[in-house]
Amino acid sequence: MTELQFTDVQRDCLQELVNVAMGQASDKLARYLGTFVHLQVPAIALVEAALLSQHFASRYQQQSATLVSLGFFGDQGLRGETIMLYQLANVGVIAQLLGYSDDAVSEAEMLTDISSVLTTTFLSGLAEQLENSFSYAAPRILSCRDQYFADKLAYTAEQWQLALQVDIRYQLTDYSFNCDMILLIPGEAVLRLRQTLDNILADF
Amino acid sequence: MQLDWLLQPLLTQLNTGVLVLDAQYRVVFFNQFIARRADVDLAKVQGSLLEDVFADLPLAWLRRKLDSVLHLQVPAFSSWEQRQYIIKLAHLRPLSSDSQYMAQNCSMLPLTAPDGVSRYVCLLIEDATDAYVYQQQLQQSVMQLEHANRTDGLTGVYNRRYWQQQLGYEIQRAGRYQHPLSLLLFDLDKFKDLNDQYGHQGGDFVLIELSRLIGSLLRDTDLFGRYGGEEFGIILPDTGITGALQVANRICDTVARHKMLYNQQTLKATISIGVVSYFDQSVDELIQRADTALYCAKRQGRNRAVAYQPELDGYLKKVK
Repeated sequence: MTELQFTDVQRDCLQELVNVAMGQASDKLARYLGTFVHLQVPAIALVEAALLSQHFASRYQQQSATLVSLGFFGDQGLRGETIMLYQLANVGVIAQLLGYSDDAVSEAEMLTDISSVLTTTFLSGLAEQLENSFSYAAPRILSCRDQYFADKLAYTAEQWQLALQVDIRYQLTDYSFNCDMILLIPGEAVLRLRQTLDNILADF
Repeated sequence: MQLDWLLQPLLTQLNTGVLVLDAQYRVVFFNQFIARRADVDLAKVQGSLLEDVFADLPLAWLRRKLDSVLHLQVPAFSSWEQRQYIIKLAHLRPLSSDSQYMAQNCSMLPLTAPDGVSRYVCLLIEDATDAYVYQQQLQQSVMQLEHANRTDGLTGVYNRRYWQQQLGYEIQRAGRYQHPLSLLLFDLDKFKDLNDQYGHQGGDFVLIELSRLIGSLLRDTDLFGRYGGEEFGIILPDTGITGALQVANRICDTVARHKMLYNQQTLKATISIGVVSYFDQSVDELIQRADTALYCAKRQGRNRAVAYQPELDGYLKKVK
């Protein structure tokens, strides 16, 4: 596992790139939605994928949580899977924000739409920062309304080596809440990501 | 090596629909996959609004998706599981599918022209009819399994496990909403004699015939199950003891008058019924009391319905 570690400098650099990408995403979303949206990333953390479900089980305990997965592929072996994790109670607010209040769209569709808008907007910004570009697979709901989401998360995470945990704080005009985005990246993509970070640091 | 020549034949042969719209959602291009399945000619409709080319689009929904693609420059997706189809396209399995139109997975992608300014949306449409058909078949199998899992194989009424489970639910419901609830437990009189005289096939015939007859006397909400052997139970929701006795007597009379033809012989059978109304008892207590009333109906000469009363418990003890 040690060869997958990031140095402090690499980690700070990644945090900075994530911040910039999230800043771009919130700018885009605000203009698209015509309302004040501010997405902040208080912290990122690199977690061993195997420990992921333990970590989130306590945070989402006794709440109806939902998990939506979306895969992405970039050039030079950079690829992975994002998982959006949020409390179901917050879905209604985001849905209203996206203009879903007045028509009969299934909850499943709402969840996948919301998740894909948020993740792809962020990821395309991140790809730009990494001088890469991503293509995306259609989003899938892994779990909704059930208590076993920790198991599902564990099962999904099992196939990856490293998880980049990105807490996202949404600030809307008169409402704010947190949700989590997890970037799951396979080992070779971690090496690739580190190389890219080193290149960026060298240029700096 | 120059590869541009590849694009046209690939687009023509591709087993995926490709549809390109400009920023005003006018049709710029579609490939043969769409042209043939929707029976439209690109040359005739190029430049027309999407909704003028394809009928019955879910416009409000589609616009929101396309808007997000244009404004955010990120892809949007639609799955057949949530929306079976976007554009009405013919598919190749009209016989094996109960849907007239192709089930579709759709990716909507942002495109920018080489001038760096003009923006387009590209819809990639994949045929998911196979998955849709398998899903339908799976659902049908699950329904058949569920039916088999709650049905008594011989008589077609509910089996004991399911029936008793329903009794538990009905008791909970009656308790919660203070609704009346009654239970009938009945048994074929002298079933052993019937079996001895006509064989087990004759006995089975009578069970099947009477289950059908009694079932036809019940409301849709009544729950009729085989408790075991020749013993059956009927749950009567929203029914007090008076109503339940009326039902029981009607069943008794109808059965006694019913003639059954078996191997050129006319059979007749009678039943005895125990009747009990719910009043805060558990499932086991309720069945126990219905059983007591049924026992008394037998003792009193069969072919009758007896309602449970607390005194019957004493009667039973004396008899035993």
